Amino acid sequence: MGEAVSVQPIQFGFLRHCIVTMAGYFEEMGWQELQEGQQANHLLDMARFLIDFGFYNEDIIGEWPRLPPPASREAVSNLPEIRIETGDKSCPICLKTFNVGEKVKEMPCHHQFHAKCILTWLEKTNSCPFCRHELPTDDDAYEAYKKDKKRKEQRKEDIEALHNSMFS
Amino acid sequence: MANIAAKRIKREFKEVMKSEEVAGGTIKLELVNDSWTELQGEIAGPPDTPYEGGTFLLEIKVPETYPFNPPKIRFMTKIWHPNVSSVTGAICLDILKDQWAAALTLRTVLLSIQALLSAAEPNDPQDAVVAKQYREDIQLFNLTARHWTNAYAGGPTVIWEFNQKVQVLQDMGVDEDQARVALSTFDWGLERATEHLFS
Repeated sequence: MGEAVSVQPIQFGFLRHCIVTMAGYFEEMGWQELQEGQQANHLLDMARFLIDFGFYNEDIIGEWPRLPPPASREAVSNLPEIRIETGDKSCPICLKTFNVGEKVKEMPCHHQFHAKCILTWLEKTNSCPFCRHELPTDDDAYEAYKKDKKRKEQRKEDIEALHNSMFS
Repeated sequence: MANIAAKRIKREFKEVMKSEEVAGGTIKLELVNDSWTELQGEIAGPPDTPYEGGTFLLEIKVPETYPFNPPKIRFMTKIWHPNVSSVTGAICLDILKDQWAAALTLRTVLLSIQALLSAAEPNDPQDAVVAKQYREDIQLFNLTARHWTNAYAGGPTVIWEFNQKVQVLQDMGVDEDQARVALSTFDWGLERATEHLFS
């Protein structure tokens, strides 16, 4: 008790100033005091703490750790069939030259394959064996990973553009 | 062996033989048996690397499911490189694992392994000891790799100091390869290598 009384007016004024300033800051950030019966979200606090102190490293989870999943059934069944016009192309999977008039499957990247060859490959993974152009998959986790990766790349570009506009 | 695998290997083999790399002597491919499941590759050590002048043999095993799964490849010639096991010859290269694509061929794979000799990836090592030396003392790493190229791959550069140290351990009854691994591991400190071998 005795100590509380010993706070001198000038110090109290400084403290009051701090509190008022912080309140303004909280208001600006859209933060609110906990209401009666409300609990802090400790999991969220922990996550923020980990991010702030660098324990969360984007590089660690930045790569899909295994072979990407098979192409989606829909994407595979929608691959167009093309009739071969010239005799100088071959299938990159079995390396056999296409016969003129033969019907082959074409990927969106315009690479052509025997139906049997490309379908076997797309049952394993979703990309063109020649150029790695990706087809959609039926795997929700992989699709979420791809979206997240795209967003991160976009953010990096935005920050770079902002930086360049400020310093050039 | 599955029909598609054997047929494709035969087509690849013909194409490799016609390629300019084979004509120029930078890569070679030979059959080991009649079933087309096992081949032997050969790559020349790239110029301006410690592997220059050496010839490196590779064991190539073609799985039944080729080309939908990658060939299994390892160095048969001993080599000092961060991405190759100095003991087993196992290679750490993404296209031989999850980055394999069915349009890759034995020719492109051999060229990729050759490129790996020019540009090591010390942050994704196969051999932690070699990678550590590569990161901490690149000059000693280059000398050691050059010495191994001379000892195992027919490279031209003799490093007398290293040869003498290997000989000292051999005179004590240590196997030549073991002596070389121990000395290379302990940065050519004869005392520590000896201690390690006899402890």
